[in-house]
Amino acid sequence: MFPKKSPKVTIDYTKCGEKGQMDPRDCAKCLRVCDPAIFILHESPNMPIDPVDPKYWRITPVWLSLCNMCMKCVKVCPLGAITVSR
Amino acid sequence: MCDWCMKHGAGGKWYMNAKNYSNELAEAMNAQEYLREQWKAFEMVYIRRIMGITSIDLGYKLQLPIIGRILRWSAERMIHSEGKHRNPVRADGHFGQVIPLEEAKVILGNLAAEPIIENYCMCRWMQRGIKEACCINFGLLSGVIEKLPRFIPKDTKYRLDRDEAIARIEEHNKKGYVATVWFQPVPYINAICSCENPECGGLRLRNDFGLHTVYKGEYVAEVDPDRCQACGTCVTKCQFGALRLAHSLKRVIVDINKCFGCGVCRHACKYDAINLVPRENYPALRGVY
Repeated sequence: MFPKKSPKVTIDYTKCGEKGQMDPRDCAKCLRVCDPAIFILHESPNMPIDPVDPKYWRITPVWLSLCNMCMKCVKVCPLGAITVSR
Repeated sequence: MCDWCMKHGAGGKWYMNAKNYSNELAEAMNAQEYLREQWKAFEMVYIRRIMGITSIDLGYKLQLPIIGRILRWSAERMIHSEGKHRNPVRADGHFGQVIPLEEAKVILGNLAAEPIIENYCMCRWMQRGIKEACCINFGLLSGVIEKLPRFIPKDTKYRLDRDEAIARIEEHNKKGYVATVWFQPVPYINAICSCENPECGGLRLRNDFGLHTVYKGEYVAEVDPDRCQACGTCVTKCQFGALRLAHSLKRVIVDINKCFGCGVCRHACKYDAINLVPRENYPALRGVY
């Protein structure tokens, strides 16, 4: 009756993102390694948004139902910030 | 012919109606305000809550019993909204259609309102973190985007005249990018994009979730069996999986139900074996976009 649950992909925002060690715009490795492109790069909703040129960015896994759990993003992340689980 | 041509096409295709490009129309519907709000935080469109829910794990949500149906119905209603109080931050009334290169050239050469700019593609930026200048915008939207530095190419000319815009769209199309024309919001037309699947936000929602953010083109590809030499080069260009090299037949076959009629496959063919024919020629495809 209920559809199959999507894989859980989480990003540790203490490592990557507006409060992390790296600006995701400079890395973006997970965005590019993912064939189905499940990640979205966006301005951080937790910081005051600069409407002209946002300075704080983070990545959110959005299209989770398309994740194949190939683990390429986990391997490619230089900060070890991504976890993928069922 | 679909509803949008009936309503906004003046007896023809909706995107061939000059009225839909005019500044007067844009001003009458206060498009400037809408576009400014829409574009200043476009990357948030899948993240922010819309009626209490985000697009995160949309695939799962759409498959839920009852809730999924309601969700799909309200998403389609939003995408096609022509109401007075459209919400720019959820891109109400923003959808498009695939067009072949020839029609894109007609639009850029004659119909598009100046100024014409070419800016970094929003979708490739949010999906891949890549800045590629390949979105051609015009009319009021140009002025709105020009004020947002993250979309404006540095060191290259981004304001284009009509001939330059045509040359650029030709270049993109030959690379294999699919030309699409966009209502933003319906019925004002102000963009021709060069899309890739699955990076394009519109194609993503259409192909992966079946939402009508992008309509199939007015044409479908047809392979001339006498000319086709079964090299298979065109198959590598199709973003929709509509072509297949049938070794046993020694030619390429087209799945017209998957074909979006973009015509990109034609650029790969050395033997001039692929033509675009009107979708209407196939009775089974009439009205299927």
